Amino acid sequence: MIPSPEGRPEETDLELINRWRAGDGRAATRLVGRHSQALARFAASAGERDGIEELVQDTFVRAFASLDSFRGESTLRTWLFTIERRLMLDRRRSERRSRETVPVEESDHVSEYGALDGLIAEEAQERVRKSLDALSPTQREVFTLRVQQGLSYKEIAEVVGSTEGAARVHYHNAIKTVKEFLKDE
Amino acid sequence: MNKCTDSDIQEMLPDLLHRALSESERRRVEAHVASCESCREDLDVLRTVKSAAVFAPSIDVDRVVRQIPPYRTILPETERPAIRRPASTRMVSWLVAASLALVAVGAGSVLLQSNRLPTSPSGMDDQPSTAIATTGEPTKASPAESVVTVGTRTPAVAAQHPHALALAAEADGLSDGGLVQLMNDMDNFDALPGSEPDPVLSVDSGDSL
Repeated sequence: MIPSPEGRPEETDLELINRWRAGDGRAATRLVGRHSQALARFAASAGERDGIEELVQDTFVRAFASLDSFRGESTLRTWLFTIERRLMLDRRRSERRSRETVPVEESDHVSEYGALDGLIAEEAQERVRKSLDALSPTQREVFTLRVQQGLSYKEIAEVVGSTEGAARVHYHNAIKTVKEFLKDE
Repeated sequence: MNKCTDSDIQEMLPDLLHRALSESERRRVEAHVASCESCREDLDVLRTVKSAAVFAPSIDVDRVVRQIPPYRTILPETERPAIRRPASTRMVSWLVAASLALVAVGAGSVLLQSNRLPTSPSGMDDQPSTAIATTGEPTKASPAESVVTVGTRTPAVAAQHPHALALAAEADGLSDGGLVQLMNDMDNFDALPGSEPDPVLSVDSGDSL
């Protein structure tokens, strides 16, 4: 049990998983509530613009469907990030395919910029967004997982399917690029 | 500004933001940051990036949970309990299976007979007068069902049935009247054969031997 801010013991993810397996639907609500915003933030910082809620939903549906394969060797959140990342890659692959076959229409540009405007409200956020856009996809993933989610290099390596050493190098290159970008702005 | 060379401290800056350091580590990092301009700058960047993540849309937890099926319905195949159907359903399944087996055996028999017995191109109607029964045992089948045509028997088939061969050789030289006479004689023949009779070759009225 983890002490909650209110002082009462808070159930761990594994305890909630066991409760859900025993038929307690409220445990699923607790788990989703605990991790959904982190998943949304990760998706947003990884460059997702539209359909973040659907992405988070798909991540949980897939995770709960294969929860028996979760052994608790990593944290549940790391495991969820791994699933979400795979879904994002699948989504990008299919988007790339559809872009190759379907011509982009003017209305698509309009809706994309409209969504972007809604997501980025403040100037500081926009600057950060731009600085993250200057990174390679892997650097961006590693950097946001480390800075925004607080994952260790070991956990990041699990999520992105790499090594701790490689994750460290990506992080240091990323912070250098972001720092220079923000200084120049 | 000099670049910081303490990589340990640099590694721990994100953990400081997420309060993931032990008390002693936190004090050590904070003391270093207070005296290192490069790390202070890094920490500012990290704070900015961390706070910028709030633009992610808020997730409707209940909506997500509604899409998650209950655990019992998504058990893996190997762990699912065997589903027992009602007895009446099982009986129907057995009857259907038995019927299919009977049909298959029947169809197989017909095909086998078709392969063994050459079919007259013109059918039975062409040789009504050459059909004779080859068995000495009475059968319940009608005469039309239990006759074989001897006039078209091939030597290979006849060699498997010595009696038929004799009849075939004899019948070849007989006129229609002679064949009728032969049939009448056989009707009156009441002696039992000295060995097992040939199996009855029961064919459909459309087939011929």
